[in-house]
Amino acid sequence: MILGVDVGGTFTDLVLLNQSGEMRIHKLLSTAHKPTLAVLQGIADLGAGPETKVVHGSTVGTNALLERRGARTALITTSGFGDILEIGRQTRQELYSLYPARPEPLVPGRWRYELPERITSRGSVLAPLDLDAADIVAQQLHAEGIESVAVCFLFSFLNPSHERQVRDRILALDRDPCPSVSLSSEVLPVYREYERMSTTVMNAYIAPVMERYLSELEEGLAGRHLRIMQSNGGSISARTARALAARTALSGPAAGVLGAFELARRAGCEQIITLDMGGTSADVSLCPGQVQETSEGSIAGLPMHLPMIDIHTVGAGGGSIARLDEGGALLVGPESAGAEPGPVCYGQAGAQEITVTDANLCLGRLDPDRFLGGQMRLDLNRAESQMQDFARQMSLPLRAAAWGIIRVANSNMERAIRAVSVERGHDPRNFTLLAYGGAGPLHACELAEALQIPHVLIPAQPGVLSAWGMTMADIVKDYAQTIMLPAASADPARLQKVFEPLTRRARAELEVEGWGEDELELAPALDMRYVGQSYELTIPFSLQHTSHSEDVPSRHVERFHAEHRRRFSHASESEPVEIVTIRLRAIGAAARPEFARRPAGSLDPSPARIGYKQVNFADFGSPTTARPFPSALYERKQLTPGNMVLGPAVIFQLDATTTIPPGWAATVDGWGNLLLERRGL
Amino acid sequence: MNQWDPISVVIFENLFSSVAEEMGVTLCRTAFSPNIKERRDYSCACFLADGRMIAQAAHIPVHLGAMPASVRAVLDRFENWSPGDLVVLNDPFLGGTHLPDITMVSPVFADNADEPAFFVASRAHHADVGGSSPGSLPLATEIYQEGLIIPPVRLIDAGRSNDALLDVILRNVRTRRERRGDLSAQVAANRVGEQRLRELVARYGYRETLIQAHSLLTYSERLMRNTISRIPDGSYSFVDEMDDDGLDSTHGASPIAGSPGSVHQKEANSGLCGPQVRAEITVEGERMIVDFAGSSDAVEGPLNAVRAITESAVWYVLTCLAGPEMPVNSGAFEPIQVIIAKGSILDAGEPHAVGGGNVETSQRIVDTLLGALAQALPDLIPAASQGTMNNVALGGHDPERNAPFAYYETIGGGSGAGPASNGLSGVHVHMTNTLNTPVEALEYTYPIRVLRYALRRQSGGRGQFCGGDGLVREIEVLCSATLTLLTERRRVPPYGLRGGACGTLGRNELQHEGHKHRLPGKACIRLEAGDVLNISTPGGGGWGTPHR
Repeated sequence: MILGVDVGGTFTDLVLLNQSGEMRIHKLLSTAHKPTLAVLQGIADLGAGPETKVVHGSTVGTNALLERRGARTALITTSGFGDILEIGRQTRQELYSLYPARPEPLVPGRWRYELPERITSRGSVLAPLDLDAADIVAQQLHAEGIESVAVCFLFSFLNPSHERQVRDRILALDRDPCPSVSLSSEVLPVYREYERMSTTVMNAYIAPVMERYLSELEEGLAGRHLRIMQSNGGSISARTARALAARTALSGPAAGVLGAFELARRAGCEQIITLDMGGTSADVSLCPGQVQETSEGSIAGLPMHLPMIDIHTVGAGGGSIARLDEGGALLVGPESAGAEPGPVCYGQAGAQEITVTDANLCLGRLDPDRFLGGQMRLDLNRAESQMQDFARQMSLPLRAAAWGIIRVANSNMERAIRAVSVERGHDPRNFTLLAYGGAGPLHACELAEALQIPHVLIPAQPGVLSAWGMTMADIVKDYAQTIMLPAASADPARLQKVFEPLTRRARAELEVEGWGEDELELAPALDMRYVGQSYELTIPFSLQHTSHSEDVPSRHVERFHAEHRRRFSHASESEPVEIVTIRLRAIGAAARPEFARRPAGSLDPSPARIGYKQVNFADFGSPTTARPFPSALYERKQLTPGNMVLGPAVIFQLDATTTIPPGWAATVDGWGNLLLERRGL
Repeated sequence: MNQWDPISVVIFENLFSSVAEEMGVTLCRTAFSPNIKERRDYSCACFLADGRMIAQAAHIPVHLGAMPASVRAVLDRFENWSPGDLVVLNDPFLGGTHLPDITMVSPVFADNADEPAFFVASRAHHADVGGSSPGSLPLATEIYQEGLIIPPVRLIDAGRSNDALLDVILRNVRTRRERRGDLSAQVAANRVGEQRLRELVARYGYRETLIQAHSLLTYSERLMRNTISRIPDGSYSFVDEMDDDGLDSTHGASPIAGSPGSVHQKEANSGLCGPQVRAEITVEGERMIVDFAGSSDAVEGPLNAVRAITESAVWYVLTCLAGPEMPVNSGAFEPIQVIIAKGSILDAGEPHAVGGGNVETSQRIVDTLLGALAQALPDLIPAASQGTMNNVALGGHDPERNAPFAYYETIGGGSGAGPASNGLSGVHVHMTNTLNTPVEALEYTYPIRVLRYALRRQSGGRGQFCGGDGLVREIEVLCSATLTLLTERRRVPPYGLRGGACGTLGRNELQHEGHKHRLPGKACIRLEAGDVLNISTPGGGGWGTPHR
């Protein structure tokens, strides 16, 4: 049995799979003050036994960063450079602002300590570490009650000895409690001091929080095997998660994209664009045959350069607020009504502002009696009366105002999808849009239409895809080391040697996680660039013991030229190339349950039909206006493989509502997914 | 074309902005030089056939007004257009700003019309366009020393490339291969913009697209009128001052003043008056007139601005006032009239040198405008920010790598405090926002060692709210090298407001054989191995009388 648990802001989702791929899902309200309560309650509700393997994605680290509730953290760095954490790249976030904002550094000036020491750009010691000064700082840390320390010296990725010496001195003090220590040469041994420092500080800042949380959770799990989801789409043991807490920061969204990709692959789509539309925002990600990663992400406005799935977020969700600005334009988001006070139709006191959810309700695309499987009744009258006031301000009929809100929200998401596809040289027409989250399936077809995306895929359980994705996660560990080596002098034997410490570490660490040498897959890569450039391309590399033939050293260089040409449309074979950073990914493949594919049965969906009503969709030939269409309503649970639903129609289920506009048709596949296509009228 | 639709205007804002952004991404992706890829010194925009800007993707505010000026110059020069045409220019007196900024403009034909429906333009800062020093920002007295001047000319004529012209351009620059790559990237960006606008017209129809483009201008104009109407009617003047004319401090036009020991020492506030920037802002209801009468005449050194720069500064300030929601387009600037005397430092003519107008004088114009507006909006306007980009260039021959090297960068400083907050420390302000170079990248690439990169504590002006602190960047050169400095606010400090103190002056120092020497704000000198350069950038001005 394997259990995926995703703790989100509003709900804690659980997906329990047995060996034969049978799935049980559970959704309960999160307990923000103590997230483990909901997790353990959910596990008890599902009756998951002691043999259950739990894969967990948690927002504990992210929330600590967003709400600035991390540990009391100090920074130790090279003399003369303690302010780098505050200076950053010396840029401001907004271009046109009289008062540009910049996030406060996680470590205030008084806890940023500088030590005399210096390593050169070639890795040699220019000035040895002043050990007496280090001892004094260690004592100060204790006196200040520091819980966690980040150590980041210049060029420590080439020579970590000084950072290690500082750690030894702090630990040698042997005071209780001893602060947790994060070394930049271990967290991210990669060049560019600010980004390395920022990442190391974030790790230090959330490590004690993670430690407390995981201890509590492990106690509650009473011996059940626990793995923690990372932002790179893989999982790690709870032990590793304690030391490298920063790797878990964006695990929920990452698991969603991983789940989406795995699901799409089973359904026969390798090229997908994912759209996860929830209450406050929409996440989009492009998967051109594989999940895409970035090592240049950020969280809470601060750079975090550990590998993470590349996700683009836009402030468009069900709770996004619509308003008329003083120039007379209708704007939607990024402000959100959130869960409190929520959309007008939730009927909570103080909810005055019209949201995307209210617009969907007014257009008949949501049903007041079938929201969350009928657990929550929506107040249509209240939404309509509020929408009427809003429409009057624009001198528009109610329906046109509601339709306008949907169009503007879609336009914001369209722009985000363009940013991850068209602007990166991918044509959306070659992709399938995979929509999930509570609101994704409501908007998917109209978005696809605008981008000329031919197919839309809606998972069987669009509301718990992140938790489902967690059950699919391999053990993945990423290692990186900046080496700064001219490619010309990097023959395979030399590279083999350079990679050796990384491979050794990877093998040892995966063995601890329970993976033997032959069960694990190693994926090495090189970050390369032309000498003088300031950006690198990551090129896959092979560690195979190939023959020492003459042409081998140039193979990765050739690949680099080719990739440079593909990405930037030019390359120069005569220019010298250098290897900046080596990367190694170690993968221990998880045993994935086989999902039974049910054979296609009848085309006729009528057994699942629960009625008809008028639902508003774009008018033919005039997509700027909406009009009511008599539409069939279906219960998703009752649909069976092979059923075909012709639009206009609406399909209801516990965790989402799917709209099928006129001209579109949905087919239920063998796994219960809906595959939607434009059929013409 | 007055068919207001509150929904379509927002949708088309997204669509037009996507076109400009995709042009920008294409330019960044296909460009060759770090200056474009890493520092993001470029902009792209879409225009109506009459030259009004519809949408832009800008990373650098100084391009804001300069892009429409380029398109205007091109429209003045050429009447007949064919599909596939592309015009290139950098002439500061014909639509450009300073020579390194090269602009390309091309027409977009749609709906089988004979006349262009739209134009697109891309602009990028090229790392070198010839002239008397690498980087093409020398301490010059004439524009001819600053590099190759390209008036508006067709680089591509109805799809046929003018290779002779390209050869001439490339023959006049130091880094030919890189220039060729960056210029091709600009062509690619324009082509993508043309294609996307044609697709837009195909999807929504020419008429609807045009109606919505006009609506977008009306929308921004309305927001700007609202913004101006919130400023009390009246006239508000302010004058701020540059340190010098860009040459005084090196004593004469000789670009190299000798070894560090012989550098002429000049005390701050020695009584010398620098060039003045003077502005009178008149607000009448929803209209604004910005009159720069009384500003100094063009100067001998390279601190002259052209009209496009001055307009950029005006529009930058008004865009900040309007807030982040206003789409930036020509409609926004409809209610604003800008009056500049020809021949002044703010609208210089040939043969004046203009390299520093873009990077330094533009900042002083912003300071002047904010100083005037502070009288009208005392509870909104911040004190002066550092007011300079602190341009530092080091070049020479690296004996260890046996190769020439050229290092250029700009350094952040303090931003001004306001009625509700302290200024930011160590940040690029107003007209620029380029990234720094990491210490580890610098030391790996160049024969230099960074000894200190820190906030310059207490340099922000005191006040109820304090100005942001400047930065200290201390660099040891490991071999002999030529240093060029183009820095401001070394004599006239960033002002405070409402009783807040001025920000601390910037300071350039050189430590040579154990002795410290003060360097002038602008200098071109020879450094020896072991010399240590210390650049301390200005703090921002304080706001309000300090609490006791």
